[in-house]
Amino acid sequence: MSYAYLFKYIIIGDTGVGKSCLLLQFTDKRFQPVHDLTIGVEFGARMITIENKPIKLQIWDTAGQESFRSITRSYYRGAAGALLVYDITRRETFNHLVSWLEDARQHANPNMTIMLVGNKCDLAHRRAVSTEEGEQFAKEHGLIFMEASAKTAQNVEEAFIKTASTIYKKIQDGVFDVSNESYGIKVGYGGIPGPSGGRDGSSSQVGGCCS
Amino acid sequence: MLEPDAHDLSDDADYAASVQQGPVSITRNDSLGRSSLNDPEGAEVVYTKDNVAIHPTQFASERISGRLKLIKQGNALSMTWLPYKGQSSNARLSEKDKNLYTIRAVQFSDIRSIRRHTPTLGWQYIIVVMSSGLAFPPLYFYNGGVREFLATIKQHVVLVRSADDANVFLVNDFENPLQRTLSSLELPRALTPMCESPTTPDPDKGELDKSSNIFQNGRRQKHHEARDISIQVLEKFSLVTRFARETTSQLFGDSQYDSYPSNDGWKNSALSPAPKRITSLDNSPQVRDEVPVAADPVEIEKLSLVWGKPRQAPLGQEEWATFLDAEGRVMDSKSLKKRIFYGGIEHNLRKEVWRFLLGYYSYESTFAEREYLISVKQLEYDTIKKQWQSISPEQAKRFTKFRERKGLIDKDVVRTDRSLSFYDGDDNPNVYLMRDILLTYSFYNFDLGYCQGMSDLLSPILYVMRDESESFWCFVQLMERLGPNFNRDQSGMHSQLFALSKLVEVLDSPLHNYFKQNDCLNYFFCFRWLLIQFKRQFEYDKTMCIWEVLWTHHLSEHLHLYVCVAILKRYRRKIIGEQMDFDTLLKFINELSGQIDLDSTLREAEALCICAGENGAACIPPGTPPSLPLEDDSSAYPQLDDEIL
Ligand SMILES: Nc1nc2c(ncn2[C@@H]2O[C@H](COP(=O)(O)OP(=O)(O)OP(=O)(O)O)[C@@H](O)[C@H]2O)c(=O)[nH]1
Ligand SMILES: [Mg+2]
Repeated sequence: MSYAYLFKYIIIGDTGVGKSCLLLQFTDKRFQPVHDLTIGVEFGARMITIENKPIKLQIWDTAGQESFRSITRSYYRGAAGALLVYDITRRETFNHLVSWLEDARQHANPNMTIMLVGNKCDLAHRRAVSTEEGEQFAKEHGLIFMEASAKTAQNVEEAFIKTASTIYKKIQDGVFDVSNESYGIKVGYGGIPGPSGGRDGSSSQVGGCCS
Repeated sequence: MLEPDAHDLSDDADYAASVQQGPVSITRNDSLGRSSLNDPEGAEVVYTKDNVAIHPTQFASERISGRLKLIKQGNALSMTWLPYKGQSSNARLSEKDKNLYTIRAVQFSDIRSIRRHTPTLGWQYIIVVMSSGLAFPPLYFYNGGVREFLATIKQHVVLVRSADDANVFLVNDFENPLQRTLSSLELPRALTPMCESPTTPDPDKGELDKSSNIFQNGRRQKHHEARDISIQVLEKFSLVTRFARETTSQLFGDSQYDSYPSNDGWKNSALSPAPKRITSLDNSPQVRDEVPVAADPVEIEKLSLVWGKPRQAPLGQEEWATFLDAEGRVMDSKSLKKRIFYGGIEHNLRKEVWRFLLGYYSYESTFAEREYLISVKQLEYDTIKKQWQSISPEQAKRFTKFRERKGLIDKDVVRTDRSLSFYDGDDNPNVYLMRDILLTYSFYNFDLGYCQGMSDLLSPILYVMRDESESFWCFVQLMERLGPNFNRDQSGMHSQLFALSKLVEVLDSPLHNYFKQNDCLNYFFCFRWLLIQFKRQFEYDKTMCIWEVLWTHHLSEHLHLYVCVAILKRYRRKIIGEQMDFDTLLKFINELSGQIDLDSTLREAEALCICAGENGAACIPPGTPPSLPLEDDSSAYPQLDDEIL
């Protein structure tokens, strides 16, 4: 299928927070509690539209277990967006966010758009992290934030799409050199390059990654 | 000794490449001295090479090794290849076979050409083509040395590289182009079988071959040794040559045929119909013999073999009984393992035989001893299990590490193979068994603890054993081999990934270079294959089969690495052709799950393992899982203290 842009996403966060479920809910619109834990990485993809442009999301669902990190880090390379997920019923998954962020900042490109997702919000009765805390953390670290539930599908669609439109806006603003695939963005065949898209590599460096 | 001259062989790119193949060393066999060994008639041995072998069948394991010599007597140079006495790699190869293949003093004046193969994958070999058009079977140089062999010849006879094919060296060829042309007129092309080909094989080659043929006719009077070999033998040689060539090209040819973007004559020749009969005494040029020529489709059908042995039916109950003595001891564990290596085990027999393969039962044990072992181990298991079962909720509150570990296991057992009926549904007792075993293991081996991937490894064991304690002890044994896969610092995984990259470098250097150029040398795309031994790569029953094959440690403890190479090689054309980058490659490999045929993969892995031989083994550092860790390791499971779960 033709797309204007392809964005690479990664989903990161502690094991068991529901990364694979979020992905499955987004790509297949179903919640399947009995799937295998993730080893290494799994892939998913879906088309969405932003401002009437078809955009393909290629999503990398990584393993959360700590000891795999030295390997999963290598998957961050060239991601345009990240869903950083914690489980609102497990405090420790929230406490670990800092180290996940550190990892992401170190191994992903600095312009990566990060969406913080507090998952399992259907389990309000077992909540261990308040919405405010999540909001606060996001604010401090310059992340977008949402609480979601892979089970009820609440905010799942929104989380992925909000991230995409933020990336899209960055493209429009010329933050990325879209011809450089290390930003996790590919211009597709069906794509009309945005205002910045027509620029060649050298001129777009201006708004580039020099942060 | 190897002074460069106009035809210095060292101008040769593949030589350089072969030298770079790390552990593949081209050893000069100077130990015997070039002039020291004079035989009574004043003949001088100018070259000796040990471990030069021929493969009389398509099975790489069935080889006859011997010593290759060049002997100079007066002005004449001859070649001998004598198999070692009583050293067959395989009992099926009789002394008669050996005699059949022995090369006793073939004069170079009767040799038309030597084709050299220095494949990126596997051993170097040469094919010696006689003026008669007949070829000897390929001589494989297990220790390298083809280049030196040619260089030595060059010192004594005229040896020129064919202008058309850099790998063909013409013996006593005349370089006068006029003579060449004349000779090509004398022998009409219609005589050569290649002319039946609708595609145009490069015309020059045929002519060249003929020319050498013609000019040697004159000299043939002098030496008739080659003709003394019986026609039968020659026929056999020739067939063998073709057979070897085709099996070889299936396996090795891939690297030439597929290699990207190289496009020399290989492709064409592989597509053109082969001569109907290769065996011939009619003087028709046969240099083409050595080119990997795919025969007509019927022949391809017949010969479509890879080098690994055909897989057999799984080991069944009746046959299993024949391996046991009256008391139940396994009499010949080696041949049992070999048997399992080639066929696997029938499912209902796995419960019994896996316990041997994993080392829980010893092969020397009797029925009675095993019965006793089971009861003792059951008690031991119960004791360890009690250690965590007796942790009260109050105690657990103050035992974070335990809570975390249990929490993780609880989460993971419900995410392991739940689509199998054995583990599906709510409150499935097998899921609880899995949890108990994993938690008990994490107490049994507290340093290693629990790590994701372990439940994948336990699942088939429990499925086969259907017994908690027996599953536990088998799992313990498996973790003796694979525990390092779960080291916190990933050292066990890294050492395997490293060995894998070295193996690919030896077995497929173009692919290696491709990975290098594309920043894929970390081989992380093979991570999951290695961590859980292809469990998610193959269907459940195939997984059990590949595991038992790997557990035999027949041929190599590290066959799993060769399995990786085999799979990568299978898709090399796609990988390189589509210029996959790291991301694409990772995705591609993930998506291969359930798509790969196990039997052919195992055969290819076997063949690769045999081909790589010691060079392959040298790629794999000692202690690489599943080898047992080195003795001097202070701790078998180096962990970062604060992260143990
Ligand atoms: N109630 C509820 N349960 C959820 C939700 N999302 C996931 N789960 C459950 O949480 C468990 C873990 O979900 P996964 O998606 O496998 O977790 P993961 O983050 O992919 O974990 P790793 O692959 O180990 O890194 C599953 O058993 C799900 O049933 C949710 O939104 N609500
Ligand atoms: Mg997952």
